[in-house]
Amino acid sequence: MSAEKEFITLLNQHQKIVYKVCNLYMDLHADREDLFQEITLQAWKAYGNFRGDAKFSTWLYRVALNTAITYFRKEKRQPAIYATESLPERQQEAPDPVEEQVKAMYVAIGTLSKIDKAIVMLYLEDYDYKEIGEMMGITANNVAVKMNRIKTRLKEETQKTAANY
Amino acid sequence: MELDELKSLINQKLTTDHSGRSANDIAQLLTRKTGSVIDKLKRSLRIEVICCIAAILLFAYIGIWGHFTSLRIYFSVFALLSLVFLGILVHLYKRINDLSATTLPVKSNLQTILHIIQEFSKRYFQFTMALLPVCFVFALILGYTENNKPDLPVLDKAVADKLNTGWKIISFVVVYLLILSVGLYYFTKWYLHKLYGRYAAQLKECIAELEEQV
Repeated sequence: MSAEKEFITLLNQHQKIVYKVCNLYMDLHADREDLFQEITLQAWKAYGNFRGDAKFSTWLYRVALNTAITYFRKEKRQPAIYATESLPERQQEAPDPVEEQVKAMYVAIGTLSKIDKAIVMLYLEDYDYKEIGEMMGITANNVAVKMNRIKTRLKEETQKTAANY
Repeated sequence: MELDELKSLINQKLTTDHSGRSANDIAQLLTRKTGSVIDKLKRSLRIEVICCIAAILLFAYIGIWGHFTSLRIYFSVFALLSLVFLGILVHLYKRINDLSATTLPVKSNLQTILHIIQEFSKRYFQFTMALLPVCFVFALILGYTENNKPDLPVLDKAVADKLNTGWKIISFVVVYLLILSVGLYYFTKWYLHKLYGRYAAQLKECIAELEEQV
Protein backbone atom coordinates (compact mmCIF):
# COMPACT_ATOMS: atom_id res chain seq x y z
CA MET A 1 0.00 0.00 0.00
CA SER A 2 1.38 3.44 -0.90
CA ALA A 3 2.11 5.92 1.91
CA GLU A 4 -0.71 8.17 0.70
CA LYS A 5 -3.30 5.39 0.73
CA GLU A 6 -2.06 4.21 4.10
CA PHE A 7 -2.34 7.74 5.48
CA ILE A 8 -5.84 8.24 4.05
CA THR A 9 -7.01 4.95 5.56
CA LEU A 10 -5.58 5.82 8.98
CA LEU A 11 -6.97 9.35 8.92
CA ASN A 12 -10.34 8.08 7.80
CA GLN A 13 -10.41 5.72 10.78
CA HIS A 14 -9.35 8.47 13.20
CA GLN A 15 -11.15 11.47 11.68
CA LYS A 16 -13.21 11.92 14.85
CA ILE A 17 -10.06 13.20 16.55
CA VAL A 18 -9.70 15.93 13.94
CA TYR A 19 -13.39 16.83 14.19
CA LYS A 20 -13.10 17.04 17.96
CA VAL A 21 -10.24 19.51 17.70
CA CYS A 22 -12.09 21.52 15.03
CA ASN A 23 -15.27 21.63 17.15
CA LEU A 24 -13.29 22.75 20.16
CA TYR A 25 -11.31 25.49 18.43
CA MET A 26 -13.73 26.91 15.87
CA ASP A 27 -17.17 28.40 16.36
CA LEU A 28 -18.45 28.35 12.82
CA HIS A 29 -18.95 25.52 10.38
CA ALA A 30 -16.90 27.17 7.62
CA ASP A 31 -13.97 27.75 10.01
CA ARG A 32 -14.12 24.14 11.15
CA GLU A 33 -13.95 22.99 7.55
CA ASP A 34 -10.89 25.19 6.97
CA LEU A 35 -9.21 23.88 10.10
CA PHE A 36 -10.03 20.27 9.16
CA GLN A 37 -8.32 20.84 5.81
CA GLU A 38 -5.31 22.47 7.49
CA ILE A 39 -4.88 19.64 10.01
CA THR A 40 -5.20 17.04 7.25
CA LEU A 41 -2.50 18.76 5.18
CA GLN A 42 -0.14 19.28 8.12
CA ALA A 43 -0.58 15.66 9.17
CA TRP A 44 0.16 14.48 5.64
CA LYS A 45 3.31 16.63 5.49
CA ALA A 46 4.55 15.21 8.79
CA TYR A 47 3.43 11.62 8.06
CA GLY A 48 6.78 10.71 6.48
CA ASN A 49 8.35 11.00 9.93
CA PHE A 50 5.69 9.03 11.76
CA ARG A 51 7.56 5.88 12.73
CA GLY A 52 4.80 4.08 14.51
CA ASP A 53 6.58 4.10 17.89
CA ALA A 54 3.62 6.09 19.23
CA LYS A 55 -0.02 5.30 18.54
CA PHE A 56 -1.39 6.99 15.42
CA SER A 57 -4.15 8.57 17.52
CA THR A 58 -1.61 10.15 19.92
CA TRP A 59 0.48 11.40 17.01
CA LEU A 60 -2.62 12.80 15.29
CA TYR A 61 -3.67 14.59 18.48
CA ARG A 62 -0.27 16.23 18.63
CA VAL A 63 -0.40 17.38 14.98
CA ALA A 64 -4.02 18.52 15.29
CA LEU A 65 -3.43 20.51 18.48
CA ASN A 66 -0.23 22.08 17.14
CA THR A 67 -2.10 23.14 14.01
CA ALA A 68 -5.16 24.43 15.86
CA ILE A 69 -3.11 26.43 18.37
CA THR A 70 -0.96 28.08 15.69
CA TYR A 71 -3.86 28.52 13.26
CA PHE A 72 -4.58 32.16 12.66
CA ARG A 73 -7.55 33.64 10.90
CA LYS A 74 -7.15 37.19 9.66
CA GLU A 75 -10.82 37.97 9.65
CA LYS A 76 -13.61 36.63 11.68
CA ARG A 77 -16.57 35.67 9.57
CA GLN A 78 -18.91 37.03 12.22
CA PRO A 79 -18.62 37.94 15.89
CA ALA A 80 -17.60 34.84 17.80
CA ILE A 81 -20.34 33.27 19.87
CA TYR A 82 -18.92 29.95 20.84
CA ALA A 83 -20.51 26.86 19.37
CA THR A 84 -23.85 28.49 18.67
CA GLU A 85 -24.12 26.66 15.37
CA SER A 86 -23.80 23.29 16.98
CA LEU A 87 -26.12 23.94 19.85
CA PRO A 88 -29.74 22.98 19.44
CA GLU A 89 -32.41 25.66 19.69
CA ARG A 90 -33.71 26.32 23.16
CA GLN A 91 -36.79 24.28 23.59
CA GLN A 92 -40.01 25.74 24.81
CA GLU A 93 -40.85 22.61 26.84
CA ALA A 94 -39.07 21.75 30.08
CA PRO A 95 -35.43 21.22 29.13
CA ASP A 96 -33.47 18.13 30.07
CA PRO A 97 -31.29 19.26 33.01
CA VAL A 98 -28.35 17.05 32.04
CA GLU A 99 -28.50 18.32 28.45
CA GLU A 100 -28.54 21.87 29.81
CA GLN A 101 -25.48 21.13 31.93
CA VAL A 102 -23.65 19.66 28.97
CA LYS A 103 -24.56 22.69 26.89
CA ALA A 104 -23.36 25.04 29.65
CA MET A 105 -20.10 23.09 30.02
CA TYR A 106 -19.59 23.12 26.24
CA VAL A 107 -20.00 26.89 26.18
CA ALA A 108 -17.70 27.25 29.20
CA ILE A 109 -14.95 25.22 27.51
CA GLY A 110 -15.29 27.58 24.56
CA THR A 111 -14.27 30.52 26.75
CA LEU A 112 -10.93 28.92 27.67
CA SER A 113 -7.62 29.94 26.11
CA LYS A 114 -6.13 27.88 23.25
CA ILE A 115 -3.68 26.20 25.64
CA ASP A 116 -6.32 25.34 28.24
CA LYS A 117 -8.58 23.94 25.53
CA ALA A 118 -5.78 21.60 24.46
CA ILE A 119 -5.27 20.41 28.04
CA VAL A 120 -9.02 19.84 28.50
CA MET A 121 -9.21 17.95 25.23
CA LEU A 122 -6.43 15.55 26.23
CA TYR A 123 -7.93 15.20 29.71
CA LEU A 124 -11.29 14.26 28.18
CA GLU A 125 -9.46 11.64 26.13
CA ASP A 126 -8.22 10.08 29.39
CA TYR A 127 -4.55 10.83 28.87
CA ASP A 128 -2.76 11.01 32.23
CA TYR A 129 -0.95 14.16 33.37
CA LYS A 130 2.45 12.79 32.38
CA GLU A 131 1.26 12.09 28.81
CA ILE A 132 -0.48 15.47 28.59
CA GLY A 133 2.73 17.11 29.84
CA GLU A 134 4.78 15.32 27.16
CA MET A 135 2.41 16.47 24.43
CA MET A 136 2.28 20.04 25.70
CA GLY A 137 5.98 20.31 26.55
CA ILE A 138 5.43 21.02 30.27
CA THR A 139 5.75 19.00 33.48
CA ALA A 140 3.05 16.66 34.82
CA ASN A 141 2.92 18.80 37.96
CA ASN A 142 2.25 21.90 35.87
CA VAL A 143 -0.54 20.06 34.04
CA ALA A 144 -2.11 19.03 37.36
CA VAL A 145 -2.13 22.61 38.64
CA LYS A 146 -3.47 23.97 35.35
CA MET A 147 -6.17 21.30 35.28
CA ASN A 148 -7.31 22.24 38.79
CA ARG A 149 -7.54 25.89 37.79
CA ILE A 150 -9.42 24.96 34.62
CA LYS A 151 -11.93 22.82 36.53
CA THR A 152 -12.60 25.64 38.98
CA ARG A 153 -13.04 28.11 36.15
CA LEU A 154 -15.37 25.77 34.24
CA LYS A 155 -17.47 25.26 37.35
CA GLU A 156 -17.85 29.01 37.80
CA GLU A 157 -18.64 29.54 34.11
CA THR A 158 -21.26 26.78 34.02
CA GLN A 159 -22.92 28.22 37.11
CA LYS A 160 -23.04 31.61 35.42
CA THR A 161 -24.43 30.13 32.20
CA ALA A 162 -26.98 28.01 34.11
CA ALA A 163 -28.19 31.13 35.89
CA ASN A 164 -28.87 32.76 32.52
CA TYR A 165 -31.07 29.92 31.24
CA MET B 1 -21.91 19.73 37.81
CA GLU B 2 -18.20 19.45 37.27
CA LEU B 3 -16.15 18.51 34.24
CA ASP B 4 -15.46 14.97 35.48
CA GLU B 5 -19.16 14.23 35.87
CA LEU B 6 -19.91 15.38 32.32
CA LYS B 7 -16.71 13.99 30.81
CA SER B 8 -18.26 11.24 28.71
CA LEU B 9 -21.18 13.39 27.53
CA ILE B 10 -18.92 16.30 26.52
CA ASN B 11 -16.57 13.89 24.83
CA GLN B 12 -19.48 12.37 22.96
CA LYS B 13 -20.81 15.78 21.92
CA LEU B 14 -17.41 16.90 20.62
CA THR B 15 -17.02 13.66 18.66
CA THR B 16 -20.46 13.52 17.13
CA ASP B 17 -20.75 17.15 16.01
CA HIS B 18 -19.70 16.50 12.42
CA SER B 19 -20.89 15.08 9.14
CA GLY B 20 -17.97 12.72 8.42
CA ARG B 21 -15.77 12.47 5.34
CA SER B 22 -15.04 9.63 2.95
CA ALA B 23 -11.55 8.46 1.98
CA ASN B 24 -12.08 10.23 -1.38
CA ASP B 25 -12.86 13.52 0.38
CA ILE B 26 -9.64 13.19 2.40
CA ALA B 27 -7.65 12.33 -0.75
CA GLN B 28 -8.99 15.51 -2.38
CA LEU B 29 -7.96 17.59 0.62
CA LEU B 30 -4.36 16.47 0.18
CA THR B 31 -4.17 18.32 -3.15
CA ARG B 32 -5.16 21.69 -1.64
CA LYS B 33 -2.93 24.53 -0.45
CA THR B 34 -2.34 25.08 3.25
CA GLY B 35 -3.33 28.39 4.83
CA SER B 36 -1.02 28.42 7.84
CA VAL B 37 1.15 31.48 8.43
CA ILE B 38 4.31 29.39 8.39
CA ASP B 39 3.40 27.84 5.02
CA LYS B 40 2.60 31.27 3.62
CA LEU B 41 6.02 32.38 4.84
CA LYS B 42 7.53 29.35 3.11
CA ARG B 43 5.79 30.23 -0.17
CA SER B 44 6.95 33.82 0.15
CA LEU B 45 10.53 32.62 0.84
CA ARG B 46 10.41 30.44 -2.28
CA ILE B 47 9.42 33.48 -4.39
CA GLU B 48 12.10 35.61 -2.73
CA VAL B 49 14.78 32.97 -3.40
CA ILE B 50 13.84 32.95 -7.10
CA CYS B 51 13.80 36.77 -7.27
CA CYS B 52 17.10 36.93 -5.40
CA ILE B 53 18.79 34.52 -7.84
CA ALA B 54 17.45 36.51 -10.80
CA ALA B 55 18.68 39.76 -9.20
CA ILE B 56 22.14 38.32 -8.50
CA LEU B 57 22.47 37.21 -12.13
CA LEU B 58 21.36 40.61 -13.42
CA PHE B 59 23.59 42.55 -11.00
CA ALA B 60 26.55 40.29 -11.78
CA TYR B 61 25.99 40.85 -15.52
CA ILE B 62 25.99 44.63 -15.08
CA GLY B 63 28.91 44.35 -12.63
CA ILE B 64 31.02 42.54 -15.23
CA TRP B 65 29.89 44.05 -18.51
CA GLY B 66 28.55 47.51 -17.51
CA HIS B 67 29.81 50.58 -19.44
CA PHE B 68 30.47 52.78 -16.40
CA THR B 69 32.98 51.98 -13.67
CA SER B 70 30.67 53.38 -10.97
CA LEU B 71 27.77 51.16 -12.09
CA ARG B 72 30.05 48.11 -12.25
CA ILE B 73 31.20 48.66 -8.64
CA TYR B 74 27.70 49.50 -7.48
CA PHE B 75 26.04 46.41 -8.93
CA SER B 76 28.91 44.12 -7.91
CA VAL B 77 28.40 45.19 -4.28
CA PHE B 78 24.66 44.68 -4.71
CA ALA B 79 25.24 41.19 -6.12
CA LEU B 80 27.44 40.27 -3.15
CA LEU B 81 24.89 41.57 -0.63
CA SER B 82 22.12 39.69 -2.41
CA LEU B 83 24.25 36.55 -2.29
CA VAL B 84 24.48 36.86 1.51
CA PHE B 85 20.74 37.45 1.70
CA LEU B 86 20.13 34.42 -0.53
CA GLY B 87 22.08 32.26 1.96
CA ILE B 88 19.85 33.51 4.80
CA LEU B 89 16.66 32.87 2.80
CA VAL B 90 17.76 29.32 1.95
CA HIS B 91 18.65 28.68 5.61
CA LEU B 92 15.19 29.86 6.77
CA TYR B 93 13.48 27.83 4.06
CA LYS B 94 15.33 24.72 5.21
CA ARG B 95 14.32 25.36 8.84
CA ILE B 96 10.65 25.63 7.88
CA ASN B 97 10.93 22.40 5.89
CA ASP B 98 12.48 20.64 8.88
CA LEU B 99 9.72 21.97 11.12
CA SER B 100 6.97 20.68 8.78
CA ALA B 101 8.45 17.19 8.85
CA THR B 102 8.57 16.87 12.65
CA THR B 103 5.89 16.71 15.30
CA LEU B 104 7.15 18.62 18.31
CA PRO B 105 5.44 19.10 21.67
CA VAL B 106 3.15 22.15 21.64
CA LYS B 107 5.58 24.43 23.52
CA SER B 108 8.61 23.58 21.36
CA ASN B 109 6.51 23.94 18.23
CA LEU B 110 5.35 27.41 19.28
CA GLN B 111 8.91 28.44 20.19
CA THR B 112 10.31 27.18 16.88
CA ILE B 113 7.68 28.99 14.80
CA LEU B 114 8.19 32.19 16.79
CA HIS B 115 11.95 31.93 16.36
CA ILE B 116 11.65 31.46 12.59
CA ILE B 117 9.34 34.47 12.26
CA GLN B 118 11.56 36.62 14.45
CA GLU B 119 14.68 35.58 12.55
CA PHE B 120 13.01 36.26 9.20
CA SER B 121 11.85 39.71 10.35
CA LYS B 122 15.28 40.51 11.83
CA ARG B 123 17.24 39.47 8.73
CA TYR B 124 14.81 41.19 6.40
CA PHE B 125 15.16 44.38 8.43
CA GLN B 126 18.97 44.10 8.57
CA PHE B 127 19.16 43.56 4.80
CA THR B 128 16.96 46.58 4.08
CA MET B 129 19.03 48.73 6.44
CA ALA B 130 22.30 47.46 4.93
CA LEU B 131 21.02 48.57 1.53
CA LEU B 132 20.60 52.16 2.76
CA PRO B 133 24.30 53.12 2.73
CA VAL B 134 24.79 51.18 -0.50
CA CYS B 135 21.84 52.72 -2.28
CA PHE B 136 22.29 56.30 -1.13
CA VAL B 137 25.76 57.12 0.15
CA PHE B 138 27.78 54.68 -1.94
CA ALA B 139 25.77 55.49 -5.08
CA LEU B 140 26.27 59.20 -4.46
CA ILE B 141 30.04 58.85 -4.07
CA LEU B 142 30.34 56.61 -7.11
CA GLY B 143 28.20 58.91 -9.22
CA TYR B 144 30.16 61.94 -8.10
CA THR B 145 33.54 60.40 -8.87
CA GLU B 146 32.53 58.79 -12.18
CA ASN B 147 34.81 60.16 -14.91
CA ASN B 148 32.73 59.00 -17.78
CA LYS B 149 29.44 60.68 -16.77
CA PRO B 150 26.76 60.98 -19.46
CA ASP B 151 25.28 64.44 -20.09
CA LEU B 152 21.83 65.01 -18.62
CA PRO B 153 21.07 68.59 -19.74
CA VAL B 154 17.69 68.95 -17.98
CA LEU B 155 19.02 67.66 -14.67
CA ASP B 156 22.28 69.59 -14.98
CA LYS B 157 20.36 72.81 -15.63
CA ALA B 158 18.01 72.22 -12.67
CA VAL B 159 20.96 71.59 -10.35
CA ALA B 160 22.83 74.63 -11.69
CA ASP B 161 19.75 76.87 -11.20
CA LYS B 162 18.58 75.71 -7.77
CA LEU B 163 21.66 74.29 -6.07
CA ASN B 164 24.19 76.87 -7.08
CA THR B 165 26.24 77.02 -3.88
CA GLY B 166 28.21 74.37 -1.95
CA TRP B 167 26.12 74.57 1.26
CA LYS B 168 22.86 74.25 -0.71
CA ILE B 169 24.08 71.05 -2.34
CA ILE B 170 25.26 69.61 0.98
CA SER B 171 22.02 70.59 2.75
CA PHE B 172 19.93 69.05 -0.04
CA VAL B 173 21.92 65.81 0.05
CA VAL B 174 21.76 65.56 3.86
CA VAL B 175 18.01 66.26 4.01
CA TYR B 176 17.37 63.88 1.12
CA LEU B 177 19.36 61.07 2.78
CA LEU B 178 17.79 61.67 6.18
CA ILE B 179 14.22 61.63 4.89
CA LEU B 180 14.77 58.49 2.84
CA SER B 181 16.68 56.67 5.60
CA VAL B 182 14.27 57.51 8.41
CA GLY B 183 11.28 56.87 6.14
CA LEU B 184 12.57 53.50 5.06
CA TYR B 185 13.52 52.55 8.63
CA TYR B 186 10.01 53.14 9.95
CA PHE B 187 8.29 51.80 6.85
CA THR B 188 10.21 48.50 7.08
CA LYS B 189 9.42 48.20 10.81
CA TRP B 190 5.75 48.94 10.20
CA TYR B 191 5.56 46.55 7.23
CA LEU B 192 7.13 43.62 9.11
CA HIS B 193 4.92 44.28 12.12
CA LYS B 194 1.86 44.38 9.87
CA LEU B 195 2.83 41.04 8.31
CA TYR B 196 3.82 39.06 11.40
CA GLY B 197 3.44 41.30 14.48
CA ARG B 198 0.00 40.15 15.57
CA TYR B 199 0.76 36.50 14.93
CA ALA B 200 4.06 36.67 16.83
CA ALA B 201 2.24 38.34 19.75
CA GLN B 202 -0.30 35.49 19.84
CA LEU B 203 2.44 32.89 19.79
CA LYS B 204 4.27 34.70 22.62
CA GLU B 205 1.04 34.76 24.63
CA CYS B 206 0.63 30.97 24.28
CA ILE B 207 4.29 30.35 25.20
CA ALA B 208 3.99 32.63 28.24
CA GLU B 209 0.90 30.70 29.33
CA LEU B 210 2.77 27.40 29.06
CA GLU B 211 5.79 28.81 30.90
CA GLU B 212 3.66 30.27 33.67
CA GLN B 213 5.15 29.25 37.03
CA VAL B 214 2.87 27.20 39.23
